[in-house]
This record gives sequence, structure tokens and C-alpha cells, in this order.
Amino acid sequence: MSDDIKVDLELDLKGLLCPLPMVRVSQNITNVPVGGVIRAVATDPGAMADIPAWAQSTGNEIMSAGKEGSEFVFLVKRVK
Amino acid sequence: MDSQQITTLTGVLDKKMNRQLKQYLDICARCAICKDACHQYVATGDFTYLPARRAELIRQIYKKYFTKTGEFVPALYEARDPDENLLDELYESTYACTGCRRCMYYCPFSIDTAWILSVAKAILIAAGRGNEMLGQLADAAIFKSDNFDMFRDVIVSGFKDIEAELKELTGDPSAEIPVDKKGADILYVALAGAHSILPAAAIFHEAGTSWTLSMFESANYGFFFGDAEKARKIADRFMDEAVRLGVKEVVITECGHAYRVANIFHEAWTGKKHPFKVRHILEVIDEYIKDGRLKVSRCIDVPVSYHDPCQVGRNGGIFEQPRDIVRALATDFRDMTPNREQQWCCGGGGGIVAISEMDAFRLKSGKKKVEQIRATGAKIVASPCENCRLQMEGLNETEDLGVRIAAIMDLVIECMDLPGRKQAAEGA
Amino acid sequence: MDTYLQITTVVGVYVAGVVFVAGMGWRIYQWATTPKSPVRLGMFPKPKTRGGRIIKMLKDTLIAPHSARIEPRMWLFAMMFHVAALAAFVGHLRLIQEYPILPELLGAEGMNAFAGWAGGIAGTLMMVAVLYWIARRTFGPFKQLSVPEDYLLLALLLGVIIMGNHMRFIGHVHAADYREWFQSLLAFKPVIPDSIRFSNVGWSLGTHMLFVNALLIYFPFSKLVHTIGSFSANLVRSE
Repeated sequence: MSDDIKVDLELDLKGLLCPLPMVRVSQNITNVPVGGVIRAVATDPGAMADIPAWAQSTGNEIMSAGKEGSEFVFLVKRVK
Repeated sequence: MDSQQITTLTGVLDKKMNRQLKQYLDICARCAICKDACHQYVATGDFTYLPARRAELIRQIYKKYFTKTGEFVPALYEARDPDENLLDELYESTYACTGCRRCMYYCPFSIDTAWILSVAKAILIAAGRGNEMLGQLADAAIFKSDNFDMFRDVIVSGFKDIEAELKELTGDPSAEIPVDKKGADILYVALAGAHSILPAAAIFHEAGTSWTLSMFESANYGFFFGDAEKARKIADRFMDEAVRLGVKEVVITECGHAYRVANIFHEAWTGKKHPFKVRHILEVIDEYIKDGRLKVSRCIDVPVSYHDPCQVGRNGGIFEQPRDIVRALATDFRDMTPNREQQWCCGGGGGIVAISEMDAFRLKSGKKKVEQIRATGAKIVASPCENCRLQMEGLNETEDLGVRIAAIMDLVIECMDLPGRKQAAEGA
Repeated sequence: MDTYLQITTVVGVYVAGVVFVAGMGWRIYQWATTPKSPVRLGMFPKPKTRGGRIIKMLKDTLIAPHSARIEPRMWLFAMMFHVAALAAFVGHLRLIQEYPILPELLGAEGMNAFAGWAGGIAGTLMMVAVLYWIARRTFGPFKQLSVPEDYLLLALLLGVIIMGNHMRFIGHVHAADYREWFQSLLAFKPVIPDSIRFSNVGWSLGTHMLFVNALLIYFPFSKLVHTIGSFSANLVRSE
């Protein structure tokens, strides 16, 4: 389904330890326009809770968060 | 700047005023002995980062609004309003500060510049100038506990993945990562990543410890952000868990600030004594090795050095246990000069690693650490603080140090007789 | 001349004494009544016993071994100043009462000669230290960090010391005459003895006291409150 969504920015967060994946997403959210989407791939399992928690506490939207093999893939939409 | 905002900001200073702060603001002689204590000032020569200067900005506000002489003759003290210029400089010098308190060590009056800057952060936050990233990280942590039901399954399933790795590593299919275990001896508070859970789980498994893993990470960005209320809430997450589970002690993972928050700050913030002990994981591991509960071999034959994280050493009081652990693992241990309470800050503390605008400055500020590491000739530099390791990894790359930066627990795992690790090594 | 001396060596001394004592009292009262930080601000390693903490506090305050390690030259001048200032203070106690034993051992002449030497050395060391501090504040980060308060205090100190040295090196008036003046102040029946008024150092006593009075009046409102505050601040280091 993620094929239907236009991704504005790809972030490779593999190998980064928490909370850095969350930090990188946060730093890059202003690099996409409002309504734009970041696709982030992390390997640290902590990111599975941290990135959605960050998105919701900052008022952004997690479109999907899931495990693909040993990787965690997130689609984050900039809301404001 | 209108008078309303000035009232707000001086109100913060008034609210945060206490005896120590007042004395620090009254007695500093501006002798600048602290200048050579600060790794940031030494590396850049930039006046903004001179410790006494950082504190002087708060002193200028204090003199104008809290002392009669400063009110009537402000020129004498260069006393002034917390205006935009002052706040600009204050932001830079305050959020750059790693809180290592090396300046306090050398100050003839033991002035705690970091404490003055904790008030500076409260002022910046009230002015709407708190660092955004640190604030977001703090809010995310609080959001996670406030809406815990939303995250519980994800977190637990993450732990299950790590548990599978643990079974493989220990070669014991019954090895487990317990969560929510009432009556366990130890509540282990890790970081959000697997790297701080798996090694500890293997060590606890080998030592036969009765333990349980906290649902929450120990990292505390509320502390770095400078909001004591948020910082307390973040620490409350696992402190409340510890009370609920009735553990004997809370053990903090290899992390600097989290240990100091748990061990020193939290009781002061809540005004309540903990019904359990708080220890650093390295204290526990050192005890296990000395008691023979954990068997390790002296498996590292390259020179190893140890970096005291400021919040673990000078500000946490743990100097010898990590050294003893490293000596039990390595044939050639080489301390840095200076070391222990005089150890140079690596430049990665205080949340600065999360502030990307300060990245270049941060790496530059590691100059002293680079010199120290080079001088040891070590091939491995071990340190029990995630921020220190991130910073030293950065220095390792930019300065071509050719060392391996390692967590102590990782070294312990390497020197334990673990069937899974052997297989992994043979497979590789 | 008489008016000048009347102002600086009589009225000024009373005013300065009252302001100094009241000001320091107020300062200590403020510190004592401001609640302590609930967070322990100590650093490690710290002594385990209360006695150990107090001994460490005294050592840190009186000897400042850490500061010595990081900037030995500054430490040397600072120690020089503070020790000499303490010696000068002790010497000035002769204004209240002559010391016992010493004058008997040395004789009246010997006592004055000894005081001359000791006072001269202390005064010279203090002057050198203050000149060093002034020089240090004229360049680099020290200059940037300095505020008018710093220079004002150094200027006042320099004035006190130079005039003190002037009396010590140029004048031929000895402690007994000064004691007569000072005791009259303490008895609230102020007299300026003729031996001082008509000597070549009458005006230097006046000017010495002018600077002393100004320094004492400003003291409680300046960074010089570190003379007291450094003890408790250094104790916090071990808490």
C-alpha cells in the first residue's frame, strides 16, 4: 500500500541507536512541505515506540509503522 | 522587550532562587580560573563558552533585579535586562554546556556553573527559547507513558525479539527477559535500544539474578531540556514501576545523566525517599565478577583505556568499578591523563548530541579528548555513557583515531563463555 | 587638613564601620534565610564523615589546591595577597591593643622595627599582587570578563595599600600614636593626636582611611563577600 504514497524524503536510520532515529526524523521533518511524507528505516527496536510517540506528541501523523524483516519502516506525514 | 516579559523572566529567577544559587551569584570574583577547565573554551577560545561568562549573563539579570546596588548603579556590574541580545548569547552558552562541572572542580569557591545554567534553561524555556529538539524528545517520552496502552504491545514485542537473541547468545532456550515481574530483586532500566538490553540480560542470566526489565528507557531529555517538572515525570515512569513491583534496587544501564538523575536528583524533586537502592549497572557487574558470580576471562590483549563520563565519575562517584572490570578483561589497561575527577569532558554530554546545529562545534570541542586518547596509545576506549560514546565515535572518525569505542558491557560479553557468541564468531 | 582628617579618620570610620557591619549582617541574613537547594550539589570524591567534609572545606577554601593545579601563577599571587592581607590585619590589631610578650622580648624599639619589617613586606606583597591582578585584567578573556566593579575594587585596594605603605616607609609615626587615635574612636571620644596631625603622614593617614572607608562601605555589596561565602560554597561541594 505504501506504493501509492508519494514519499518526499527517505531516511536511512539503520544502525542508529535510540533516540537518534527519533532525532533524525524530527530534524528532517521541516525538510518536507506540510503534507509531505518521510519514509524512515531503522534497525533499533526502540524506534517502534519512540518514533510514533514523537509524531503524536508533536502533532504529526504516523501513516504506518511496521517490521520488514529485521528493519522497522515508518511513514511519517508532516501535519503542521 | 516589554516589561511584562521581563517580569516573567525575573519571576523564573525568583522562583528558582536558593541559597547556593544566591551565593554563586554573589561571590564569583571573575578570576576566570575556570577558563582552562572548560573543554569548549579551551578548544575554541570563544569567550561565549568561558564558564564564568556563561554564569555572568544570569548574574547581570540578578544584579539588576535582585540587588539594590545593581538597581541603582547597574553600570558597575554591567547589570541589564534579559533582552534579546542576552537571551541569544544565553541560549548558545547554556545549551552548549555539557554540564560536566569540571569548572566547579577547579573553582576556588566551587561555584557550580551548571547549576546556574539549569536556571538559565528555565529562563530560556519561559522566554519560549528552550531547545526545540530536546523539548520534543522530552515530550515524546512523557507522551509514551501517558498513553502507555498505545505502546505496550509494541514495546513488549520488541523485548521478545531481543529475548530470542538472548536464547541464541546464551545457548539456553529457557533464558528470558522478564517484564512486570513482581518481587524481583532488580528493576533494570535500559535505554530504548537493544544494545543496552541484550548484554545486561546475558549478564543477569549468567549470574542468576532475579531481575525484571523496565518498560521505560532511563534516558531523560527533560533533564537536558532544563524542565525539572518534565524531567521528574520522565524519571517517575520507572521509579513508580519500581515501587509497584516492590524491587530491592533500581539498576540504571550504562548511561551518565540517567544515573545522576535517578541517584541524586529524583529524590530531591519528589521530596520522597526511595524505598529501594539505586545503582549503576557497572557497580553490579563489578560485584558479580569479584564475587565469582560472573565468570570472565582476560580475553582482550590490545591496550584498553577508560573514559570517565562526567555524570558517572565526577558527578556520580563511580571511579573504580569500571576500571576494575576493564582490568579483569584486558591485559593492558591504560588510564588517560588526567583521569577520574579531573577527567576531561569528551564534549558529548548535556543533550548536545541531539542538537544538530551544534554538531561541528561539538566535534571541535573534543580536542582535549582526542589528545588524551592519542596519548594512551589504546586500541579500545571503553566508556559507560551513550552520549560520550557517540561523541567519541564522531571524534574517532573525523580525527582518524583508529580506536574502537566500546560500552563496558559489550567487552564483558566478549570475555564471557557464551556458546552463542562463539558460534556467531565462527560463522563470521 | 583638620577638616579632612575629621572626615576620613573620625566621621568616615564610624560611617564605614556601621555600613560594613550592618551590610555584612544583612548579607549573611539573606543567605541564611534563603532555602537551600533540595538537590545535593556536591561532587565526588567526597568525604564520608561530617568532620571530613569540614576539613576538606577548610582546605579548599584556605589553600585552594585545585586552583593551584590549573593556574599556578594566579594561585601564587592570590595566596600572596590573601596571606599578606591577613598578616596586615593581624598587625593592625596593635591599634586596639599592643601584643603581649613580643614587645618585652624585642623591646620597644625592636617591636617597632619588627612591625616595620613585617608590615613593609606584607604591604609590598599586597601591592605586587594587586598590580598583577590589574595587569591580568587588561588583556584577553580577563578583560572581556571584567566589569567596572572589578576595577573599582582593585583601585580602592591599591589606594589603601599605597597609602599604608607610604605611612610605613615614609612616616616616623609608630603604633602607639595611631593606637591613641584608634582607641579614642573606640571610646567614642575621638581625638587625633598632635603627633599625627603635625607629622609628615597626617594626610596619608587621612587618605589611607579615605580608601579604607570606601572599601568597607562597598564591601558588603561587592564580590568581596566571597571572604565569607566561599566557606559555605566550598562546603556544598562535599554535600
